[in-house]
Amino acid sequence: MRILGFESSAKSASVAVCDEIGLISQHFQNSGLTHSRTLLPMAEDMLKNLSLTLSDIDLIAVAQGPGSFTGIRIGVSAVKGLAWAADKPVCGVSTLLAMAYNGVAFPEGSLICCVMDAKRSQFYNANFVIKDGIPVRLCEDRAIGTAKLVEDIENTNNSVFVIGDGASMCYNALENLKLDAHIAPEPLRHQSAWGVCMAAKRENAQSVHELLPVYLRLSQAERERQDRVFGK
Amino acid sequence: MLIMSIESTCDETAVAITENGRKVLTDQIFSQADLHAVYGGVVPEIASRSHVEVISQLSERALTVAGITKNDLGAVAVSYAPGLIGAVLVGVNFAKSVAYALSIPLIPVHHIKGHIAANYIAFPELEPPFLCLAISGGNTMLVDVRGYTDMKIIGATRDDAAGECFDKTARVLGLPYPGGKHVDALSKTGDDSKYVLPRSHVEGNPYDMSFSGLKTSVVNLVHNAEQKGETLDRESLCASFSRAVSESLVPRTMQLARELGYKKIAVAGGVAANSRIREDFRIAAEKEGAQLFVPPLSLCGDNGAMIGCQGYYEFLAGTRAGSDLNAYANMEL
Ligand SMILES: [Zn+2]
Repeated sequence: MRILGFESSAKSASVAVCDEIGLISQHFQNSGLTHSRTLLPMAEDMLKNLSLTLSDIDLIAVAQGPGSFTGIRIGVSAVKGLAWAADKPVCGVSTLLAMAYNGVAFPEGSLICCVMDAKRSQFYNANFVIKDGIPVRLCEDRAIGTAKLVEDIENTNNSVFVIGDGASMCYNALENLKLDAHIAPEPLRHQSAWGVCMAAKRENAQSVHELLPVYLRLSQAERERQDRVFGK
Repeated sequence: MLIMSIESTCDETAVAITENGRKVLTDQIFSQADLHAVYGGVVPEIASRSHVEVISQLSERALTVAGITKNDLGAVAVSYAPGLIGAVLVGVNFAKSVAYALSIPLIPVHHIKGHIAANYIAFPELEPPFLCLAISGGNTMLVDVRGYTDMKIIGATRDDAAGECFDKTARVLGLPYPGGKHVDALSKTGDDSKYVLPRSHVEGNPYDMSFSGLKTSVVNLVHNAEQKGETLDRESLCASFSRAVSESLVPRTMQLARELGYKKIAVAGGVAANSRIREDFRIAAEKEGAQLFVPPLSLCGDNGAMIGCQGYYEFLAGTRAGSDLNAYANMEL
């Protein structure tokens, strides 16, 4: 079972190939160059280097959100094109769950707090606990403010590791709580296509038409209209 | 050669299959107009979201209706600029992947060149060179079409596009989005000389145009009438406005055709659907003894076939893109 995974939900972008045993190859880029230009060439180069073609791939996985609206759409559009043309099943996975796999570097029982900067004073967040070497979900993916984040983890007795591009922003709030809280070291703070492949292994495959981005948020125009029509 | 072409630059998602440029096997168009109607205009984020939801289904349906398989495709063409960037990105990234997965060439197509090419589909006898007026919601330009891929802009709007002006007029009159066709419908029973509206003139290039003055005049006229509690003759305002736009476009186009020595004149883009502009062009071309090419309404708005048609001529000219192709909000012709 070979999985080709794509991650483009924030500033970094990555592509990976994994099998039952684990990571075979990963291309990661955190250059600030647009994913629209870099994502597919990374996949193309990687497969060429591996002497593989799409026909050797059994499943195509992608981080379907939450995250940057545009970044997610670039990943999902690219994967839809590949999967449709090559007749492959796909698997859309939560960006936050994929990111939580970086937490397997930390001890059993650690609480993994995944946070992405969602702007407008909010984070995209989900929390996980490392159990039997994999992240187990403690809450749904959501868009929340610092107060709710603090409320949800202030009573934990476990070590807390914060992962994602929102880590440094919420770390100050967590530090004041006298928790055993740490920001994950730099390379482990970024989401990766390897995590996408790992998460996809444990989820059901979908048909290409079923794959959709998950934004967790309305567009600005829809939000403002709702406020206008239904009151705030 | 069979080309699959993809269009997603604004609020239409389209996938077409064309054969050797001019033969359209199918053109699957999903219009988002209903999604944007409550906002009175296209909302870029909503447009982008909708494109990604339907693009693979439309592609599947295009193959089914055309009665072909993916392996019959010779190339993928995609509209990669100009447009709403978030929207264009969906089509470009999908198209790149399809071309890569099928190991067939990827052809980037300029959206406005696509609009011009809609005329090749409608008129099998039409060949460059000719003069084309491209008029849409985002662009208004006079293009010297010297060859299928060799084009030169001779004049363009310095500010608003003609289509933008129609949309704004519709909006201040409270007409539903998209407003162009409602303005057109009302204007048919109005008096086109009732309201005096400016025909703006710009310094320098005689083929450059301006529509912001006209737009402002209409907005002020409507607001003043509202303030004074006067009832506007909407039919006549629409007729006077349509006439003003037409008189900024048609004589200028005819003058340029004379100057360039062209007896073939084409019109392209969404605003080419306007009946006043079509009729004024018909009369002017007849007087001049020029051949006029205006696509049927179905080929004026955004569609996939026009991208496939231009894509074919780009293919013949050697235009190709790799998997690093990006999308662009703006792009020279
Ligand atoms: Zn257009």
